[in-house]
Amino acid sequence: MSVGLLRWGDALIGVLAAGIVATAFALAYTPAGEARVLVISQAGAAPQHEPLDRARVLEVAGPAGITRIEIEPGRARCADSPGRQNICEASGWLQAHGEVAVSLPNRLTLQVRGPEPGFDSMHY
Amino acid sequence: MGASSGDPQAGGDARDRAIAALAAIAIGIQILEAAIPSPVPGIKPGLANIVTLITLLVLGWRAAVAVTLIRVVGSSLLLGTLLSPAFWLSLAGAVASLVLLAALRPFAPRHVGPVGLAIAAAMAHITGQFLLAWAIIIPHPNLPLVLPPLLLAALITGSLTGILTAQVLADPRIQRHVRKPASSP
Repeated sequence: MSVGLLRWGDALIGVLAAGIVATAFALAYTPAGEARVLVISQAGAAPQHEPLDRARVLEVAGPAGITRIEIEPGRARCADSPGRQNICEASGWLQAHGEVAVSLPNRLTLQVRGPEPGFDSMHY
Repeated sequence: MGASSGDPQAGGDARDRAIAALAAIAIGIQILEAAIPSPVPGIKPGLANIVTLITLLVLGWRAAVAVTLIRVVGSSLLLGTLLSPAFWLSLAGAVASLVLLAALRPFAPRHVGPVGLAIAAAMAHITGQFLLAWAIIIPHPNLPLVLPPLLLAALITGSLTGILTAQVLADPRIQRHVRKPASSP
């Protein structure tokens, strides 16, 4: 293997390819942006937008009972919901753009959104 | 294409035989590679691309297309994946890399050598596969998260196959064929 086998085009392609790889990693794995607003969507109602600026607790009434939503600066969570499996609560703090908590008994979704559109949602 | 100075029919026959032989080698490599367990699904060395690159550099782009398409169809027949998603993914990768190789062909071998061609082909291959997978087979919004590692793998495997291609091309038995078109244009 001699260096003479490599032309300048090879080096250019190598550098470009490395750049594409680095860009792809940067684009795919940067945090999706901090959440700034909580969108509360309930079946049959207009989506409600709550800015994540100060700590407070919201209570949303639904067909199965009351969902208690805790909001803190930059994050929100479903603190208490009537679902028996605690799926909504198990979603934990929503703090990256697109994260969702769902309460099916109350026909409610909570989604936090950031300043920039990143991923539409994350599902597990 | 007049690569040989003698009877054009005989030259065509020799060329066809060379394409058939190269395609057979490529199919063999692809089958052997399919038998190697990969630690990560979707990542494999792509050694059959060595044959495509050598065909491109020795016999030209059309021959490289023929060898590659014969390889994709032939190996899928032997592996039993013809017309399955694996086949379409293989074809999408092959077509994408052939398109990029066609774009780079005018710069080879003066400005771009086998290593650059192999890296470009590997990156195009995985990108073509990914786009097909994302558009049709697994249209999941988070599929782009797997693309960066695959691109990185393509960069590494492309470099390796490029170095191997350079080694094969440096072999005197191959060099005899490489010089032919250059000496009698």
